Amino acid sequence: MGIIKASKLIYDYIRRDEDEHVEEVNRAIDELTLDIKAGDFVAILGHNGSGKSTFAKQINGILLPTEGTVWISGMDTADDSHIWDIRKTAGMVFQNPDNQIIGNIVEEDVGFGPENLGVPTDEIWKRVDASLEAVGMTAYRMKSPNKLSGGQKQRVAIAGVMAMKPQCIILDEPTAMLDPNGRKEVIATLHELNKKEGITVLLITHYMEEVIEADRVIVMDDGRLVMDGTPREVFSRVKELKEYRLDVPQVTELAYELKQAGVALPDGILTMDELMEYLLPMMKGN
Amino acid sequence: MDSVLHKMDPRTKLFGTMIFIISLFLANNIAAYVVATVFMVGAIRLSKVPFKFIVRGLKAIVVLLLISVSFNLFLTPGRVIFQLGFLKLTWEGLETAGFMALRLIYLVIGSSVMTLTTTPNELTDGLEKSLGFLNKIGVPVHEVSMMMSIALRFIPILIEETDKIMKAQMARGADFESGNLIQKAKSMVPLLVPLFISAFRRATDLAMAMEARCYHGGEGRTKMKPLHYSKRDYVAYAVYVIYMVMIVLARR
Amino acid sequence: MSIKAEHLSYIYGQGTAFEQYALKDVSFEIEDGQFIGLIGHTGSGKSTLIQHLNGLIRATEGTLYYNGENIYQDGYDMKALRSKVGLVFQYPEHQLFEVDVFSDVCFGPKNQGLSKEEVQARAREALQQVGLEEKFWEQSPFELSGGQKRRVAIAGVLAMHPEVLILDEPTAGLDPKGRDEILDQISALHRDKKMTIILVSHSMEDIAQYADRIMVMNHGEKVFDAPPKEVFGHYKELEKIGLAAPQITYIVHRLRDHGVPIAEDITTVAEARDAILKLLGKGGR
Repeated sequence: MGIIKASKLIYDYIRRDEDEHVEEVNRAIDELTLDIKAGDFVAILGHNGSGKSTFAKQINGILLPTEGTVWISGMDTADDSHIWDIRKTAGMVFQNPDNQIIGNIVEEDVGFGPENLGVPTDEIWKRVDASLEAVGMTAYRMKSPNKLSGGQKQRVAIAGVMAMKPQCIILDEPTAMLDPNGRKEVIATLHELNKKEGITVLLITHYMEEVIEADRVIVMDDGRLVMDGTPREVFSRVKELKEYRLDVPQVTELAYELKQAGVALPDGILTMDELMEYLLPMMKGN
Repeated sequence: MDSVLHKMDPRTKLFGTMIFIISLFLANNIAAYVVATVFMVGAIRLSKVPFKFIVRGLKAIVVLLLISVSFNLFLTPGRVIFQLGFLKLTWEGLETAGFMALRLIYLVIGSSVMTLTTTPNELTDGLEKSLGFLNKIGVPVHEVSMMMSIALRFIPILIEETDKIMKAQMARGADFESGNLIQKAKSMVPLLVPLFISAFRRATDLAMAMEARCYHGGEGRTKMKPLHYSKRDYVAYAVYVIYMVMIVLARR
Repeated sequence: MSIKAEHLSYIYGQGTAFEQYALKDVSFEIEDGQFIGLIGHTGSGKSTLIQHLNGLIRATEGTLYYNGENIYQDGYDMKALRSKVGLVFQYPEHQLFEVDVFSDVCFGPKNQGLSKEEVQARAREALQQVGLEEKFWEQSPFELSGGQKRRVAIAGVLAMHPEVLILDEPTAGLDPKGRDEILDQISALHRDKKMTIILVSHSMEDIAQYADRIMVMNHGEKVFDAPPKEVFGHYKELEKIGLAAPQITYIVHRLRDHGVPIAEDITTVAEARDAILKLLGKGGR
């Protein structure tokens, strides 16, 4: 069993009127079954309202399944007694950088998680130092979070999760409010944590450029898992992706369009280098 | 800034400020004020904070100062120096007004010395620890101090947001300045509604983020920066005792 | 002749130690009916610049003319300017406040002092222009999706009948489909209503698709001001200031570097496809 496992997970948002009668039931997740291997960099794609954020909140027990089960490292999220162990194992980073930083100074914010876990003071300092180093924010440790850029704030939030020594980090659209430079900063940091520290990363996003280097891409639509594979496998299905209100990088789209017009190119070209490799010999030959 | 006062435990500074305020109300003659002045000047010198920063706080109370001084000056009965209509300037009035002004000015300077040498975080930590005994009678001291520290973090964010909302509404022709009181109050609705909704949203988000980082109240929580008394704090407490004794002796 | 800026500068904290130029000697002229893309990274001065255009910020130095009139002259009607130069801010959450969508859109025209009938007619028209279905009109704006909120925010400004529409990153945080829908709507306003559009965006791909002129800001200064094809040709300089041309530009330049005779001013996927197919002898579609 992988580090995150969901079996026939169903989640309904239930709206009740004043007398607690059910007024409206909205199925956000519909029979989702999924197994994520420790150490993987997994991206979950889906348009707004596809259920991907709801799934993220299931993973560390902020929301609990209506039906079905979610296990983190073998612990059932519905089991109350494990709740803090689950949150320690699967750390979470949210979309709005301002609304998840609690401390008034960067280093104090990073220490917030370990403080809650009752970690001894000396050990907190060690963890804070190491986490800030890991996300490259050591130089800013005494700064006020309000003085940082969006990308830097998200890196502080990631350090705050790292200081809890998780095995896995879930990021719920961490780059949606950032500019292109901030986005690159955050994604690069995640890849580094994944490679150097062996942290499992679950990145939820709708920016296609961010998932090209993932080990595995999962596409959700209407609360269901609709595509699952390597980035190449998923991106070779351009038409299907567009039906799910998603997009592909321009290189992939160009390659796909050329292929449709009869040019002999392989499926799912992800980078410019790949495209050049195939296209150049053809064009020079002409 | 790094001075003895900056490094002192916030509890020591809080207590010192309290002592100083009490002493100001005890002091009722020139001798006692001389003692208080020596104490205050000593603290300012130790803090290494430039004097102009310290007196800046006085600007806020100028009006209050003028009003209370003039009331005391002219409305205290006693030996008349000169009279203008119903206004009588008396020796007693002069004395009360003088001490009153000194008391107010010293009060502001004393608390400025504390706030200028203590970060807001240290202050909340200090309050949480010194008021910890209130926990026993059911006051949620940890929760209150956590709230204070979160408020400190979000005040600048909300101020910036207020500015953005105002501009967004002004771009739609909203007018926040002209009109009478009722019109002005009404014109605040387009500003306050988005601001409240945003603040609520931030609060929900923050609560979720805190839970995700295993926050579950003050119980079983350790501190990254626990408060420790050191030698300088004990010295400070000794100075407080000597100071209070001198104040009491100097009173008439 | 519509908007003309002459040597605009804006200084933060003038006279203090923190004095900083947010805008530095910016001049340009925007003619009626243009579609302008305004690009720059965070803190480049682009947000400051657009707030000058409707008088929300007053320049420290320089002059701004709207339709030939100096907006800084005594007695200039700023309120009228704001209804002619409509500005939609990035987050719709910063402006939606009414109990339902329709009343929220009425806020702008009501502030213009129009009659009740006229206000409602304009709100209806604006909501139709942004393509928001009528079933949403009576709903609370806070229950809408991100894309729908954006539409309501844009309608709220459109209802004031602006001549110029400025949008500050109208697609931030939207998914790809939502982004395309909003951009198509804006481009329809430009095409059908002949409205002057100034679109602030981080996405070069979006700008390449729609704008006919690009202004690039960096450290408060205007560094480029030309048609997209020309600006993207400077992709190396763009990278130096933390920006990038669309991926297509890079593909085209790499092909050219290898001696492929493809036109260098190609900026969209469709153009590239057709050009490559033609070069391969397969003919464009």
